[in-house]
Amino acid sequence: MNEGQIELIVQKVMEQLQKRFTPDHNIARENVKEIIEKGLVFREQDWKTSIPQPAFKEGVAELTASTPARIGVWRTGTRPLTKTMLKLQFDHAAAIDAVSSEVLEKYLEEFNLFTVETCYENKEVYLKRPDKGRVLTDDAVDTISSRCQKRPQVQIVVSDGLSASAVETNLKDVYPALIDSLKINNLSFGTSFFVKGGRVACMDHIGDILEPEVLVLLIGERPGLVSASSMSAYMCYRPRKGIIESDRNVISNIHPLGTPPIEAGAHIGTVLRRMIEQKVSGVKLEL
Amino acid sequence: MNNKVIKSVGIDIGTSTTKLMMSDLTLGRVSSQFALPHFDIIERKVTYVSEIISTPLINEEEIDLTQLVAWLEKEYLQAGLTISDIQSGAVIITGETAIKKNADALIHYLSERAGDFVVAIAGASLEAVLAGRGSGSYEHSMKSKGIVANIDIGGGTANVVLFQQGKILETITFHVGGRLIEINPSGKVLSISPSIRPWLFSKNLQLEKGRLLSLTDLTKISTALAVDMLDCLAGKRSIHSLDLLVHSSSCEALPRIDEVMISGGVGQLTLAGPPSSIEEAAKYNDFGPLLATSINQKLIDYHFQVIKPLQTSRATVIGAGMQTTKISGATISIQANRLPLRNIPVIKISLSVEEIERNLLIGKEMFGSNERLPFAIGLSGSVYLTYEKMKDLSLVIGTLYHKYFPRSEILVIVCENDMAKALGQALQLQFAFDVICIDQINIGHGDYIDIGEPLTETIVPVVVKTLAFRGESNENKNNFA
Repeated sequence: MNEGQIELIVQKVMEQLQKRFTPDHNIARENVKEIIEKGLVFREQDWKTSIPQPAFKEGVAELTASTPARIGVWRTGTRPLTKTMLKLQFDHAAAIDAVSSEVLEKYLEEFNLFTVETCYENKEVYLKRPDKGRVLTDDAVDTISSRCQKRPQVQIVVSDGLSASAVETNLKDVYPALIDSLKINNLSFGTSFFVKGGRVACMDHIGDILEPEVLVLLIGERPGLVSASSMSAYMCYRPRKGIIESDRNVISNIHPLGTPPIEAGAHIGTVLRRMIEQKVSGVKLEL
Repeated sequence: MNNKVIKSVGIDIGTSTTKLMMSDLTLGRVSSQFALPHFDIIERKVTYVSEIISTPLINEEEIDLTQLVAWLEKEYLQAGLTISDIQSGAVIITGETAIKKNADALIHYLSERAGDFVVAIAGASLEAVLAGRGSGSYEHSMKSKGIVANIDIGGGTANVVLFQQGKILETITFHVGGRLIEINPSGKVLSISPSIRPWLFSKNLQLEKGRLLSLTDLTKISTALAVDMLDCLAGKRSIHSLDLLVHSSSCEALPRIDEVMISGGVGQLTLAGPPSSIEEAAKYNDFGPLLATSINQKLIDYHFQVIKPLQTSRATVIGAGMQTTKISGATISIQANRLPLRNIPVIKISLSVEEIERNLLIGKEMFGSNERLPFAIGLSGSVYLTYEKMKDLSLVIGTLYHKYFPRSEILVIVCENDMAKALGQALQLQFAFDVICIDQINIGHGDYIDIGEPLTETIVPVVVKTLAFRGESNENKNNFA
């Protein structure tokens, strides 16, 4: 590369970046700004309440910084403040939404993921019958058998699990970082896809069909009141029916305020490489 | 991974005394099995403590290197360790010794011979922090509501650090030490340190070598010294008005101090009673015991709660041995064959495009002469990075770095946030130079950093040498050139 070419590249990158790092979508922002100014929208900090004049300010700050739990939010008489109650209900509603909603197609298209289903039937059955979410439908078996590379070194599977918003929020960060980490660790990967209505153990059924050396399942976690969009990465060496839970490894709590999605993705490659090196996964794996 | 033990050494070469300690630092996983791995030092144990010896000097201005090294070798032997066993630690050259003629040579000599990843550090503020960590003040501040000051008084200086809830608030160092005035048992003045002369002059306490002083005369001096320092700490006098006594300070005015601990050699002496005669006062050939007595007696007049320290004379050496090494995050990107790296200056960059280019240019101006590895990039800011932004960031940093330092084969990045592995991988995939990207290390502009050989495949020991405190940066720069 000569001097001129470098100049050009830098200039191009800079231009792009200026756009991205400076507040984008100016027009849309204006509208949002107006709405916020009118007090119609609550931002995260607007929900914040705190102890008025605490006797030990630094101590309280230390405690509240140490946990996302609702502590030091003050009270009225013996009851929580209205704001605290509303926020609790708000978060609870978000958790319920995360379970009952479906991942929008556009989030999957970004990474060319096609969709197959488990025998879950519908969300109601899915919640009552975890076993149904562990087995793929006959159609699904046919589809992945025909469309996916057999016996890949690494098989990546994405599933909504108990939170569709976990996939929508984190996949765009976890997935490309994961691909980078596979490249760095000299691992090849097969054809990735999305499983609707999946449970963790659907890994075993997929393992029986595609026989990958290792499989990683990126799946939505049971929503909580802190985050409704938390994702887990379950990993297993030669997954197959009959595998027990202690043979799986997991990185959990992946979301913007928990385990950083890009860093989780970047670490998965290392874990998978060690599984392949040691020919084992779960509690016996030395990390 | 099972818990791993690393051997760490601390060597404190002070104005009047020198000591050494060995410790075992146990590394353990502090994150749950379901989270990303995160390791930290979970146990610190002292395994060997040397005698306290007088710092060997050839003359007033030169340290006796040969004698010092011979002593070190003897101590290593006695502790049953060889240089190759030592994996971390620090040599700290403190107080007035740091300005002795051959301190630079000493630092370099020792950092190569004391052990593989033993770093040499100096600087009054750092010494204050280490002493505060070694004396028990730091631990105490975690349990206490108020501000805890650790006053470490050695031969040449009194290094003060203020802690609150385990956080360092400020540091200040005074020209107050037991060795500043040397006397013989009959009260004859043997020498007066140049650093105390301006203050003595301003107080009309002229002394000259050879003069005979009574216990009362000496007590008058030590009391005046104690009162001025304590007045300043109590906020009764401004730092500015005590220019002649203040060596350096991190701030213009100190916050209100609630509790104090006194460590150091003079701290040790405060635990003894007042000397009854001039012979007793001069038992170390200096006025240390008198200074200790004055501080003890005067402290009662102030609002401070006095807390008994866990360590006194050995506070700094224990701090140096056990508290200097930090552990990086466990999800990082490293190239083991490039480590260790020592004394890399840090240029801090925040996450905006103009800033990145501007700061790289500043770095080029300051450290550009070292084409192989001019500096490490410190990335601050706690914004959440999406993959897209991280990728852009890596492209900008990598491209600009290559543009301004085309001959560099290695890029070192230190992040505060947990993002080093993702960022390092993105850089490695896009650029030809080697990348060392570590995280969960807090670093400031003007700091120097040492990165050791990996302790396990994914963890490196790191020592951050903070020189940023105002008033010190120039004085110490040369030690790390």
